[in-house]
Amino acid sequence: MIAPAHPVAPEDLMALLDGELAPQEAQAVSAHLNHCPECAQLALEFRSVSESLKSWTVPDAPPALEETVLAQAAQTVQSSHPQSPGAWSLLRWTMSGRGAVAAALILLAVSSAIFFHGGPSARKQRLTSFVNPGDDPRSIDGQLAASRKSREEIAEPRGVDSLVALAPGVAGVAKDSNGQFYDQPAPPPPSPAIAQGLIAGSAARRQDRSRSVADANDSQATAAIPAAAPMIARTVALSIVVKDFPAARAALDAILARHQGYSAQLTVNTEQNVQRGLQDSLRIPAPQLAAALAELKSLGRVETETQSGEEVTQQHADLVARLQNSRETEQRLRDILAQRTGKIEDVLQVEEEIARVRGEIEQMEADRQTLEHRVDFATVDLHIAEEYKEQFATPSTSASTQIRNAFVSGMRGAAATLLGILLFLEEAGPVILIWLAILALPAVLLWRRYRRLRTSI
Amino acid sequence: MEDALPAFVLHSEAAISAPMNDPPPIPGDPGAPSDRSSSLGSEETDEQLMQAYAGGRSAAFTALFARYRQPLFGFFRRRVPDPARAEELAQETFLAVLRAASRYQPTALFRTWLYAIAFKILRAHRRQAAFRATFLGAPREMPDPAAPGSLDNEVLVRHAVAKLDALDREVLLLREFEQLSYAEIAALLALPLNTVRSRLFRARLALHTLLAAPHTAASKEAL
Repeated sequence: MIAPAHPVAPEDLMALLDGELAPQEAQAVSAHLNHCPECAQLALEFRSVSESLKSWTVPDAPPALEETVLAQAAQTVQSSHPQSPGAWSLLRWTMSGRGAVAAALILLAVSSAIFFHGGPSARKQRLTSFVNPGDDPRSIDGQLAASRKSREEIAEPRGVDSLVALAPGVAGVAKDSNGQFYDQPAPPPPSPAIAQGLIAGSAARRQDRSRSVADANDSQATAAIPAAAPMIARTVALSIVVKDFPAARAALDAILARHQGYSAQLTVNTEQNVQRGLQDSLRIPAPQLAAALAELKSLGRVETETQSGEEVTQQHADLVARLQNSRETEQRLRDILAQRTGKIEDVLQVEEEIARVRGEIEQMEADRQTLEHRVDFATVDLHIAEEYKEQFATPSTSASTQIRNAFVSGMRGAAATLLGILLFLEEAGPVILIWLAILALPAVLLWRRYRRLRTSI
Repeated sequence: MEDALPAFVLHSEAAISAPMNDPPPIPGDPGAPSDRSSSLGSEETDEQLMQAYAGGRSAAFTALFARYRQPLFGFFRRRVPDPARAEELAQETFLAVLRAASRYQPTALFRTWLYAIAFKILRAHRRQAAFRATFLGAPREMPDPAAPGSLDNEVLVRHAVAKLDALDREVLLLREFEQLSYAEIAALLALPLNTVRSRLFRARLALHTLLAAPHTAASKEAL
């Protein structure tokens, strides 16, 4: 259309026609236009194109447009504070598909987090509340006191019926501890003295009771057994923080000596630069328990304290009864051996039987003694820790070593992370590649289609 | 020489009223057409009207709306096949202007600002439509209600324009119908000024070729 060596570029001509040239340029180009037929032809073409385009008319805008917009305009001007743009765009964003997708993703993430972490943590919480009753000392102490009280009442000789009521007492659910549990008029409930007093009293009574059981045993008076006082094996766990550890240690020994107790197992930790402490399993005579506990608590600040009592009355009574039966059996066998005569074989058989019964008796005797020992000597699991004071003089790791250590552990961590990524890629890579290959084709096709439609619509 | 020039100028700002039923005024142009002298803001520029509206004068927007109702409707009507959708988008643009009125700064021409908003809304619409079409299938070809009463020539022009490259077409339409300057088009489409020039040139030549050569083929295709 235009000769290659034309002095005026055709685009400049167009710009001139569009009024887009600077005055000087416009003058030069229009001067050229006046005597160049090619450019005049081109200008005509442009003009004809514009003329043709004019035929593309558009119908009048519908009146609804005017009504809506002008109504909105009047409204916006009236309300000095139109809807805030932030809230508006947020609302629109939320309403749009992207918002819905984002909300779905967040929901998915939150729910999966709950699914993976909620269950175990809740379980753990339940477990701790069960394992560590010291969390709520008031209620636990209250329950303990209640169960102790009810056991005290059972301890009053009240006949076999009272044994039936034993079960709730042992389970510790006897919330009603004021004696309304029983049909018979109960003796006035023990005064609301502190638990220690109760324990001491019960222990004293138990001492009498066990002696009477022994007497009854000796005199073969079976009827005395069910009326026995409850036998309770007590266990106390105590955690104390002290200021002066050596003094506390000495005081502990003194307390043990004073109350005729002994320590079954003692572990002392006096390592340097750490909190010193000791773990001791004490055995203290039951009657002395309350006094000993009070003294132990005065050593320092009590952090946790748990007390529990295991009711072994029934177990003890059973044991005593079986022991008695075995003794009678043994006596009868001895009588048979003494009074009757028979074949050697029979005699040997009786001897054998006596030996067996004797073995049983000794076994049961040992059990009884252990049981009684557990009742007579309360177990105190004592943990004493020192209030730790950081010391300036302690030789700490030098700064350069710390820097080096941090660097080494950092490098190690980075290496581990890289290795982890590598391992993950090795493990999941092939599967990911397969899926990419499967999904890539449709994705590319959809993307191309989208691109095409975007320009054409 | 100076007198001869206007005869060749396609759309000098003084001669723009032909393709548009209600053309935008030129800021600072003293010669306002007589048919607009009755309207409220005939002496005021678009920018002054917009500021008056932001200041609380509701009538100022009525005047602005009267100036731009038809051009903006035409903008969407020529680019969106569905007339109802075009009306919606025009309405959306005006509402966006209303919402943004308090933030309007007269640093740019109101016209440029308005078309920038309209263009954003158009692009959002195209994205949406393309996304839907990608998954739900291509939209039905909208029979243009304007077609029956219109000239055969108009159908030819529309088809020829539709055959242009998308960006070329956009530049051409913005120049021919919206009367935007090269610089405004460049800003709107985020293109260098020279690219706008060359694309406009290419589009015009291509359109001329399309309109000149295959008259018979195009009309057959149109039918």
